[in-house]
Amino acid sequence: MITSRNPLRDRVAIAGAATTGFVAANTARSQASLAAEACIKVLRECGLGAEDVDGICGSAPSAPHVQAMLGIPEVTWFANPAIPFVNHLAAAVSAVASGLCETVLAYHAAYRLPWNTGSAWKDPFRRDSGVGPKPLNRQPDSVAGSVGYTAWASRYLHEFGTPREHFGYVAVNDRTNAAANPAAALRTPLTMEDYLGARMVRWPLCLYDMDIAVDGADAFIITTAERARDLPNPPVLVDAVALGMTDKNDEDQAPGLEAHGQQVTVRALKAKSDFWIEDCDVYFPYDGFTIITLNWIENAGWCGRGEAGDFLKQHWDAASNRVLIDGRIPINPHGGSLSEGGTQGSGHLREAVHQLQGLAGERQVADAQRAIVTAGGFFFNAQGVTLHRG
Amino acid sequence: MSSDRSGTDVSDEQLLTLFAGYGVDHDTAAHLRGRLTRQLLVNQCASCGHWHHPPRPVCPECWSFEVTARPVAGTGTIHLAVFLHQGPPAPGVDYSTPYPLVTVELDEQPGLRFSATVVGSANEDIAIGRRVRLDWIERDDVPVPVFRLEDAA
Repeated sequence: MITSRNPLRDRVAIAGAATTGFVAANTARSQASLAAEACIKVLRECGLGAEDVDGICGSAPSAPHVQAMLGIPEVTWFANPAIPFVNHLAAAVSAVASGLCETVLAYHAAYRLPWNTGSAWKDPFRRDSGVGPKPLNRQPDSVAGSVGYTAWASRYLHEFGTPREHFGYVAVNDRTNAAANPAAALRTPLTMEDYLGARMVRWPLCLYDMDIAVDGADAFIITTAERARDLPNPPVLVDAVALGMTDKNDEDQAPGLEAHGQQVTVRALKAKSDFWIEDCDVYFPYDGFTIITLNWIENAGWCGRGEAGDFLKQHWDAASNRVLIDGRIPINPHGGSLSEGGTQGSGHLREAVHQLQGLAGERQVADAQRAIVTAGGFFFNAQGVTLHRG
Repeated sequence: MSSDRSGTDVSDEQLLTLFAGYGVDHDTAAHLRGRLTRQLLVNQCASCGHWHHPPRPVCPECWSFEVTARPVAGTGTIHLAVFLHQGPPAPGVDYSTPYPLVTVELDEQPGLRFSATVVGSANEDIAIGRRVRLDWIERDDVPVPVFRLEDAA
């Protein structure tokens, strides 16, 4: 069931966001070291010290680890949610809105893990690392995890007869955008020919359909709207948050591409929010796999089912070699999971904050007032947030 | 040797060893024991007849705990199809020929699906919409459910 209840609206703000930047190579650093750098950076940018934090939220390292590492004297709330990162935002916003704490330090350290790159396996100090539950079933007959998205990509092609170029638009758009983002891991241009010629990993998805494993971290300060107004940067107000899920949430049991967590997320956000896509200035659909992005674009209502590829083609800005919806709204202007790096959504949220604060540098959307982030995939991780400049 | 192994004669400890990495617990054990005697067992509710998979302790339709792992016919239609050009190491699995992995909608109930590989056909013949039937192969001395195209040569 979905209700329009939304007492948190405009009561909680993201006061700041910071990143270490991302590299598609093993650093000689721990996940904790990356998280610490991002946390210290965001605290300094917000003019806050350790004693100003009374809530901590992140996956790995754990909140207790981060508190001890940064010498944060006392907290009254903490949580270690699973990825993707709107889970963390939802938890932190709820904690602030309810008064369990006032100022949350939220972080996400992306880390090259031994089961998603061969080279990460060669670093023995990474073998015990993770950003979530480790894959349980490492046998080839499982459609759990990444394989599940590939399986539904096969269904998408079957149902709509779309060419693989439609996935390719997502990849090329991300790469063009990443070129303007100094924090991005992959910034060399990508052509459609490169996309179509890339190595197949799991048919029908190739190397450029999958997010890139990176080292790097993002961190955020989430506090009351009142407190945020006293901090140095413009507050970004949280309008609505939803974590959508259906009962058929095993990868191979989902009823179809028309009935999974994304539809629930969108319906919930539209019920709770003051605005939707017609009033948004910048859009962040998740892109851990390109099929996810096409589905988000359709489910958010930009176009009909099976039409996302044609929509991207229609709104392609040839001069800049990327998507500009109606000539003005970019999609994932930071380069997304495919090119900035696989941040499990923290990069999308960070760029949304920077866009609404006017701090996005050469990527800045003129006078950006409202952003929509729809993070995560289909099954047990579809989620979204609507944000506006305070 | 493995073909002599009765699913019911295998101890809980042995089951855990045979299916390391499969997530063996009180909810999945019956399904995995069935594999040892080459029976594909899927949970069905004794109260309302609803099937569900993967195995859960309660019927999602009527909340009865009287769910039993029961054999299915093993016939159905391919609903999803991927071809793995790389994947987890497994004996006898050579990704130089992409490894087919299909999700099959079983005939017992709309939306009831089981995922496995396909043997005995060229990859270009394996596609969404094709009819399949269950068969078994051995991997690491444990029977593994697979599908064959219904009208394969």
